[in-house]
Amino acid sequence: MRDKLNRLFAPLLLPALSVFTAMVLGGVLIALAGGNPLEAYAGMLEGAFGSPRAVSETLVWATPYILAGLSVSLAFRGGLFNIGAEGQLAFGALSAAWAGHWLPRLVGGGLPAALHVPLTLLLGALAGGLWAAVPGWIKARAGGHEVISTIMLNYVALNVVSFLLNGPMKDPTAANVLSRTPLIDESARVPALVDGFRLHWGFPLALLAAALVGWVLQRTAFGFEIRTAGQSPDAARYAGVRVGRTVIVTMALSGGLAGVAGAIEVSALHHRHELGFSQGYGFDAIAIALLGKAHPGGTVLAALLFSAMRSGATRMQYLTQVPIDVISVIQALILLFVAADTLVRRIYRVRARGERLVLTRGWGG
Amino acid sequence: MVYRRYAFIAVVVSVLVLVVVLVGASQVPPLTIVASMAATTLAVATPLTLGALSGVFCERSGVVNLGIEGMMLAAAFSGWFGSIYASAVLGIPPLPSLLLGVVIAVATGALLGLLLAALAVTYSVDQILAGTVINLLAVGLTGFFNRQLFFGPASAFGGQVPHAPGVLPRLHVPLLADLPVVGPVFEQQPIAVAAVVLVGLTHLVLFRTRWGLRARAVGEHPRAAATVGIDVVRVRYVNVVIGGAIAGLGGAYFTLESVPSFEPMMTNGRGFISLAAMIFGDWTPFGSWAAALVFGAAQAFQINLQLFRDQIPPSWSFLQQSSVVGLVPYLLTLLILTGVIGKTTPPAADGQPYEPEGRR
Amino acid sequence: MLKKRRLAIAVLLALASALPACTRSKRADCASPEVFCVGLVTDMGKIDDKSFNQSAWEAIQRAQKELGATTQYIETTDPKDYPKNIGTFAEEQYDVVITSGFGLTEATHAAAEQFKGVKFIGIDQFQATQKPNVVGLIFPEDHGGFLVGALAAMMTKSGKIGGVLATDAVPPVYRFGEGFRAGARHVKPDIEISVVYHNDVGFDKTFTDPEWGKTTAVSMIDKGIDIVFGGGGKTGNGALLGAATKGVYAIGVDTDQYYTVPEAQKVLLSSAVKLITEGTFDLIKMAKEGKLPAGNFEGKSGYAPYHDLDSKVPPEVKTKMEELRRGLLDGTLKTTVPPTKDAKGQP
Repeated sequence: MRDKLNRLFAPLLLPALSVFTAMVLGGVLIALAGGNPLEAYAGMLEGAFGSPRAVSETLVWATPYILAGLSVSLAFRGGLFNIGAEGQLAFGALSAAWAGHWLPRLVGGGLPAALHVPLTLLLGALAGGLWAAVPGWIKARAGGHEVISTIMLNYVALNVVSFLLNGPMKDPTAANVLSRTPLIDESARVPALVDGFRLHWGFPLALLAAALVGWVLQRTAFGFEIRTAGQSPDAARYAGVRVGRTVIVTMALSGGLAGVAGAIEVSALHHRHELGFSQGYGFDAIAIALLGKAHPGGTVLAALLFSAMRSGATRMQYLTQVPIDVISVIQALILLFVAADTLVRRIYRVRARGERLVLTRGWGG
Repeated sequence: MVYRRYAFIAVVVSVLVLVVVLVGASQVPPLTIVASMAATTLAVATPLTLGALSGVFCERSGVVNLGIEGMMLAAAFSGWFGSIYASAVLGIPPLPSLLLGVVIAVATGALLGLLLAALAVTYSVDQILAGTVINLLAVGLTGFFNRQLFFGPASAFGGQVPHAPGVLPRLHVPLLADLPVVGPVFEQQPIAVAAVVLVGLTHLVLFRTRWGLRARAVGEHPRAAATVGIDVVRVRYVNVVIGGAIAGLGGAYFTLESVPSFEPMMTNGRGFISLAAMIFGDWTPFGSWAAALVFGAAQAFQINLQLFRDQIPPSWSFLQQSSVVGLVPYLLTLLILTGVIGKTTPPAADGQPYEPEGRR
Repeated sequence: MLKKRRLAIAVLLALASALPACTRSKRADCASPEVFCVGLVTDMGKIDDKSFNQSAWEAIQRAQKELGATTQYIETTDPKDYPKNIGTFAEEQYDVVITSGFGLTEATHAAAEQFKGVKFIGIDQFQATQKPNVVGLIFPEDHGGFLVGALAAMMTKSGKIGGVLATDAVPPVYRFGEGFRAGARHVKPDIEISVVYHNDVGFDKTFTDPEWGKTTAVSMIDKGIDIVFGGGGKTGNGALLGAATKGVYAIGVDTDQYYTVPEAQKVLLSSAVKLITEGTFDLIKMAKEGKLPAGNFEGKSGYAPYHDLDSKVPPEVKTKMEELRRGLLDGTLKTTVPPTKDAKGQP
């Protein structure tokens, strides 16, 4: 029993200590800003979980975080560093907006929700996946490192999206002046989970995606290929894995998850694509994946933590006037301590165990 | 870097300039347009050049610096704040305040370079991750302190943002700056001049000195370097700290040379474009500079087209949108990555933590 | 080792459970009729942005001093949070919730529907449909733009003037920019005007890119433009700074920028102003007296004093400016600027 508990909780120890240390340092900053750290954190907690509405809002935040975090985690497992979740998410959102508004007009006539909603999300996944396959292809073909190509593709995506939202895909109604698409049809909207709250079916879907990613990675032959290609491309090659193909498919799957994240934001929450809503998710997703040790379950937990912080921050500022930027600092510190776990181990005298997560091997690939 | 790529860059820049000249010729003399575009290009390219040089220093010794963006942002803030504090609280005159600001910015960059080195070299943290940590920290900390230092309870300013001491004055290059029309090109501010000087200097240091030889050896094959008695850890630390300092100077450009104010996240991705410039330039100082100039020319192109938008036929008007021309740097870099325009070769040990024989 | 680890976990758990138990900060009782509470929800910006968010916050601070209001703000960091942030005030039964910025129009309307007992003031939010508990504070920015455009046309020596503006997608900025164009054409039909908008970046960048503003202004000046109108948050401020470095006249926007961009004082001819702080405060006061109107409430827009350059402006120009101002006020003069970009039917 004790052994079992230990095995269950031991992997949580270092991330928990990292979060704790970051919160302590964040507390020092809050105190410097003239606030009471405990009050501030209590305010954050209240804002995140203090009422049914707060919980709903937190889970609304958690949905894209889980999916984008899974996107980065999956790539990590395949030895790939996907900094491009932001661009993939934006394209997923864009094509969801297209599927939600223009697709029915293209086929002439409305679609039933049972068909329209899945189609919208699927197209989102497809767009994100194709967009992410490009860096995979560049890497497989010429060895161009995915970190730099995904960063470049993020900016390309940002510019293309802004061009489309200012031009061809802009809401043409006279009253609209903003860079955004028309509202998507009712039939393309992911419904709310509970009436009167914004929490929607996207959240359980995100959890399902986490389970699915876990199953693929652990139980399928393809998951084995991803992991071997990630841990040791040479060994994978000897074992007969077509590494180039695996890299492309892994990136595509990773991008697909980010694309779904964007599609759900459009389909369930905003009901349209508006310029700039996707900014910042890419880097948050990296932090979440790392905190979750690139493990699907861990990623879900980390996403919940981050969304509670983001969602609770408003109430924290409202109650204690502590500037909201503290959250970004704390999240960066969490990432720092998770990355440099040697540091945390030294502080708390915890011995290293298990294998280290190998992420990248320099630009050469 | 291969000459073919320089030629490619020259062609791209000429085409950009030529188009603007053709479009605007009915309104403004061609020479004025060329001079104005050159001035804009140099100004826009300054932070990119410095960022790319920072990358060259770090990566030639085998440490990937993805934190250039954060280093610039943090330096832009600290240098700006330092100059304001010096002039408004300590009563130091504007020019010394600004110079002090530059020193503080450079020191901030160096300090973050030290953090990167500690994470990447001493703690063997994944280097891309270490850079990401620096970027996120910079965003959070600058946002936080931008509020606290002016509006916090212990602020020396009591809720008022005092007047900044202005920006660094233009340097007048004798004779050249007095020329008609093209004169403004030679009337640049100190950091822009320093960027160009640093390009040559970096080239000399890396390719003409013993230190440079050692640094490159460490970047290519650390084990072999160690066997001939080079202190790999020390070389990497020094280079990364120098790289950080140069990125810091790039940050100073934003708040001490361009505009006397700080905005949250004002570097706006310039650090990442710098990285692209470095890769485009094949990890060489002059190549990086040339790439930075292409990226600068692309922006000059877009600004100038907007000015002449009445001359552009409606069907071509999309060219004046920054979301179209803004794609140029990224697409060019992606093109390079696919290996279509010649191969790029990073230092062999770039990004790999160094673990001496026998450890582990 | 195992013991230590368990100790660490125990400490962690103890601290985690101690957190919510600590003292709650005291809150004002906004539900009681004696307490007058005013809350501000900013639009993707901070209350110290030297722009509309700050002007709104200054009005609220004035309400705190002069009307004894209990005040509070929430800074929005993601558009997703608009409803939550407005709801935070409404659920605490604040008397007045002010939402600053065009982007919050829809969220404000939705909140007004949900919280019928709360009054909402939407700054720069044109009300297409009327709701009993929402008032949109709008300004005839085209008047201010028209006036400084005329001023620029009368003061230019090269016959070329330019405008560097944040974006034409936001109606207030669009009206400033097109008003500028119309005013200049009104007094000098053959004048050369270039107006450039920093359109195509995300909304979080359009208003906060002083470097772009400066580079663009300098590039204009290189081509013979000798008066620069800079508008739209810090992007516009950058244009003023560009004019200052090149030593040509500059014209500011929103507030009297003589005070917000001191570096440009020597070249600042005037500013096209809109009185956000005054308008917002007036509305708060009406709300306290229970006389808050519904629909649209028009604030004032005009031009700021010439300050340091007063002696450089010829008397006949000053007379003409006053004449135009009166004409716009009494309606005998029209700017012919449509309220939004798309109302004109242009792409």
